[in-house]
Amino acid sequence: MATDTQPSREVGRTLLAGVERIHETLDSYGLVPTVTNGIALLFVVWTLFPVYWMVSGSLRTRSDLLATPPKLVSTALTVENYPELFVQRPAFYEFLFNSVVVTVGSTALAVLLGTAATYGFVNYEFPYNLGRFHLPFLVLTTRFLPPIVTVIPLYVIFDTANLLNTRLGLVLAYAAFNIPFVVWMLKGFFAELPDSIVEAAVLDGHTELGAFFKIVLPMVRPGLIAATIFTVINAWNELLFAVILTSNTEAQTLPVALATFKTAYAIQWELLTVAGTIAMAPVLLFAFLVREKLLRGFTMGAVR
Amino acid sequence: MSLQSDTAVGGRYESALLWVEDHLRWILTLPALAVLAAFFVYPVGRALVLSLYQFDAAGRQFVGFENYVAILTAGAFWQSLWITAKFMFFAVSFEVGLGIAIAFVLNSKVRFRGLIQTIGLVPLVISPTVVALLWQLLYQNGGVLDSLVAPLTNGPVPWLSDPSIALYALVLPDVWQMTPLVTLIVLAGLQSVPDHVQEAAMMDGAGRMRRLVDVTLPYIKELVVLVLILRVIGTMRVFAKVFVLTRGGPAKSTEVISMAMYREAFSYGNYGRASTMALLLLLIALAITYAFATVSEVEF
Repeated sequence: MATDTQPSREVGRTLLAGVERIHETLDSYGLVPTVTNGIALLFVVWTLFPVYWMVSGSLRTRSDLLATPPKLVSTALTVENYPELFVQRPAFYEFLFNSVVVTVGSTALAVLLGTAATYGFVNYEFPYNLGRFHLPFLVLTTRFLPPIVTVIPLYVIFDTANLLNTRLGLVLAYAAFNIPFVVWMLKGFFAELPDSIVEAAVLDGHTELGAFFKIVLPMVRPGLIAATIFTVINAWNELLFAVILTSNTEAQTLPVALATFKTAYAIQWELLTVAGTIAMAPVLLFAFLVREKLLRGFTMGAVR
Repeated sequence: MSLQSDTAVGGRYESALLWVEDHLRWILTLPALAVLAAFFVYPVGRALVLSLYQFDAAGRQFVGFENYVAILTAGAFWQSLWITAKFMFFAVSFEVGLGIAIAFVLNSKVRFRGLIQTIGLVPLVISPTVVALLWQLLYQNGGVLDSLVAPLTNGPVPWLSDPSIALYALVLPDVWQMTPLVTLIVLAGLQSVPDHVQEAAMMDGAGRMRRLVDVTLPYIKELVVLVLILRVIGTMRVFAKVFVLTRGGPAKSTEVISMAMYREAFSYGNYGRASTMALLLLLIALAITYAFATVSEVEF
């Protein structure tokens, strides 16, 4: 355990003592539940309001949305903005299509390669060290690289390899960025499997490869699902690589379209809110459906 | 004859299978390693080469270490690092501070805790690009935030167009998006403190304060280090919010390091200088990662 330096411990204790005094005062008036529930409610409103504002904006006319002072609730809702976005910006069909293709392709690739690699790393000794660092550790450190570091040379590399402005290029780049993530999420699951499990399967007449598919994979299913969920969300949301490596509707994804939506004149907020809602809706729906797994995923690696 | 060839094929199949089994460790790991080499190692190597060239209308010229000298002696690089550091400091402080506080509140007897945790996921799964747009809408002249602070100010606030405010107007969306991450992780840690441990401490006569310091804190200490690492790394790479909301302006007041590099490469076409900055940033990122890996017990 790293030892605490004395000053930080002092500050911590002082803070805690302060919190404790507030707690005691509130307690003596029986106000603790009111205050905690109040703070919780504030957190909920603060978190949901910006999302509500954009979604409700997509259902309003421009003047209603941008009224001063703002109208928190509109009485004149309309769905006209939705078809209008695709009439004024027909390229949105293509952005949507590109986003779906890139997300599905890169997720499949990252989960496939990442799973295989994790199994290999966990089950075999790797003699190849770089200094004191182990090969599997080096794979994980790539997660800490700021993506801007690699994307600039990657632009030059893609230029010569004719991968600029292609969906394939984005699929490969996203897969590369998500593989370390998949390895990180899966390694705990693989490490928890008893060593004897493959041996037992081999004794039962399975080949080692057969044991991997028929016995190991089903056992790490929760990890696979969690890794897939996170990879999908990462790919769907990514901007930096997409904005640098693509230049037109051939391969540009939704985030690029959103980030460059502004026209020379003004922001068409009644349409931009529609586009933003369309970009948010799938991940929010998805997140709601798999909320338990997502919660565990966000807190995983540390807690388990 | 047919029987013979069958066994021959069978034998070849068998030996192929044997070869696969013998080399399984590399068959499993090499594809991933190859992709990582192509997308991490090779680009860094390429950046090393590019950093020795200058790009201009005439094409590229070998200039040796001139890019390094130019970047390290001119103020712009240090300025963008300083802006990144300020962004990092304010965003991480608020995210971690608020996040822990809210986690403690939610860990006490709060109604609908499960629902609130699910709501905490909402900002986390939304694209930073969309988050930037959500806030741009809130920052509209005479919009929601202006009317919220109206009692304190005279007239609309130039959130994104005043150089002294803009950076903080970028911190806010990041705090909105990432505070729930800290809350969810710390809350999970708080709930992993077994009841019997708390009860045993209570039996021993430990007061609330003692229990908090000696029982609860050890459970969440590692998690706090983990979220600190995650957020320091996360804020160091901030791009989408800056790109959408300010593009580094006004007057370069929000030109964080990734925005400065983007501009160098794709507005000025100077890939050499941008690559040099990339390598310097890589060194900084490695140093930070190494420092965390040494200081903390967190396993990566």
